Amino acid sequence: MKRLRLDRWTGQLLLARPGASPASTPRAVLRPAVAAPRCTAVRCQSTGAVSQIPGEVEDYHDGTDPIRFPPLEQLPPRATSLPSPTPVRALQSAKLAALHARLSLPERLPLQTLARALVDASADENPQFNNTNLAFVGQTLINYHVAEWLMCRYPRLPMDILYAAMKGYAGPTALHHVARSWGIEHAAAPGGEVDPGLLQFSMHKPGDAITGFGYRRAEIEGMKKYKWRHGMSSRVVFDDDFGEVVDTEQSKEELRARADTEYGNEYTRSLAEKAYATCARAVAGAIYAHAGRDAAKAFIRAHVLSRTLDLSRLFAFKKPTRELSLLCAREDFEPPVARLLSETGRLSRTPVFVVGIFSGRDKLGEAAGPSLEHARNKAAMNALKSWYLYSPGEAVRVPSDMLADDAKPWEPAYIDMGEIIGR
Amino acid sequence: MTIRAVQKISTGRNGVGSFILQCKKMNFHYCDWAGSSRGMNGFIKSLLPKFAASNPQVEFTVSPRPSKHPLIVAQYINGREKSVCVRNMEPYEILKKAELLRDASGEKNKRVTKPVQSINESVRGVWSPYHGNGLRV
Repeated sequence: MKRLRLDRWTGQLLLARPGASPASTPRAVLRPAVAAPRCTAVRCQSTGAVSQIPGEVEDYHDGTDPIRFPPLEQLPPRATSLPSPTPVRALQSAKLAALHARLSLPERLPLQTLARALVDASADENPQFNNTNLAFVGQTLINYHVAEWLMCRYPRLPMDILYAAMKGYAGPTALHHVARSWGIEHAAAPGGEVDPGLLQFSMHKPGDAITGFGYRRAEIEGMKKYKWRHGMSSRVVFDDDFGEVVDTEQSKEELRARADTEYGNEYTRSLAEKAYATCARAVAGAIYAHAGRDAAKAFIRAHVLSRTLDLSRLFAFKKPTRELSLLCAREDFEPPVARLLSETGRLSRTPVFVVGIFSGRDKLGEAAGPSLEHARNKAAMNALKSWYLYSPGEAVRVPSDMLADDAKPWEPAYIDMGEIIGR
Repeated sequence: MTIRAVQKISTGRNGVGSFILQCKKMNFHYCDWAGSSRGMNGFIKSLLPKFAASNPQVEFTVSPRPSKHPLIVAQYINGREKSVCVRNMEPYEILKKAELLRDASGEKNKRVTKPVQSINESVRGVWSPYHGNGLRV
């Protein structure tokens, strides 16, 4: 079977966007040295367009008859040579206006900024025209609000679970789902002529990865090679907001490997996911920049924190009974005792034992299982989960509530003494 | 450390926290010549501007489809699309169809037998045969 040669396709669409074609055709990718910046002229973010500078790249003309095939949209001069659409065109995009209305964004957030939030750093390397800066602000805000909400609402969560919950709410995959649920579509390839209402990212050019908090560990080579263990305390200090090791070298290599990828594999899907997540963060950052703190917080509450995540399914215990007895010793409870509450069919093929774990007269947890051991372990897990998932209430106040002008005096939030250390 | 985390991703529920209209684009196709498009042409002239202005979250396009029946095609966030042929309809009938498409979720039509669908766990819990006083047979 012959492979489809993308670069041989002679569709009108492919011809109509030559600005994107050098990077998107596999043939051109093989010789990246040619890929010099096509647009050397100055771009302006303001609506006052710059006059054509002599000696720069002319608009591409593919030879079709403009009278027989009139262009769907009148592009401004030299639009096709730009890496991303000019901010002027944001005002004419129906997609962008619809997205603005669909998200009920504040009036103060202009369409130009929303258009900028849709341009990934891989599409346009100029930080004045891509969403890197907005995404950094948005990431900081989203992670802060998710973290404070989780910590105040579930004060006893162990650090590992807290990181997993953070990632479940504000990680790249979750934000990718958020951005998809907004109805954002992406362009096949970035360029100055695409609709500004489409998300633009490049599969092939690296762009600058969005920088987050966290340090590159000195021992990272050993961690990768010999699987050195890294404890939770060092994860808190060194690693990023989701407790994941910051590996700048690896991300650089990944970006370099982009040039060789083809469409439709797991790697390109992860790139798309990253671009969508960055876009969602950038929208949050843009709201903060234009409409302020309260609007950004309300937006994050509405779109990120309103999602459902069952925290009790994040736990995986190794030795629940031992941990429970350590917990009871630490809290001065009576030592836990497992008691058989009821059973059926002990000698049958499918017995069921219901085991409760008691500390003195208090029942800490209960579970049913097919064997005594299993039921006891499950009961201990249930007891531990009900301890760890203690919550002061659904409408718990968070520190950022105090930033409102008419905030009531702060009542200290519940702070737990920490997780049970069992080794 | 005895506790390890299992990674799970939160699920969104449209309407909780924020509501996103699922219809994202509507295309209105008409024919200048054919008689079946007479109502559609009147709709585009008289009712569509108001309808489009009252639904800013939907992208509207109007395009000719010569020698064919008039058509409304709606595209949804879940990637599906629905189309309704509006031949020989009056403008207000077409408006009804456009509202129907705008309010649809984009899912395939399903027979709904339960009044509430929820991913929350039951408040009452699942009945257990091992608890309570049991049933005397």
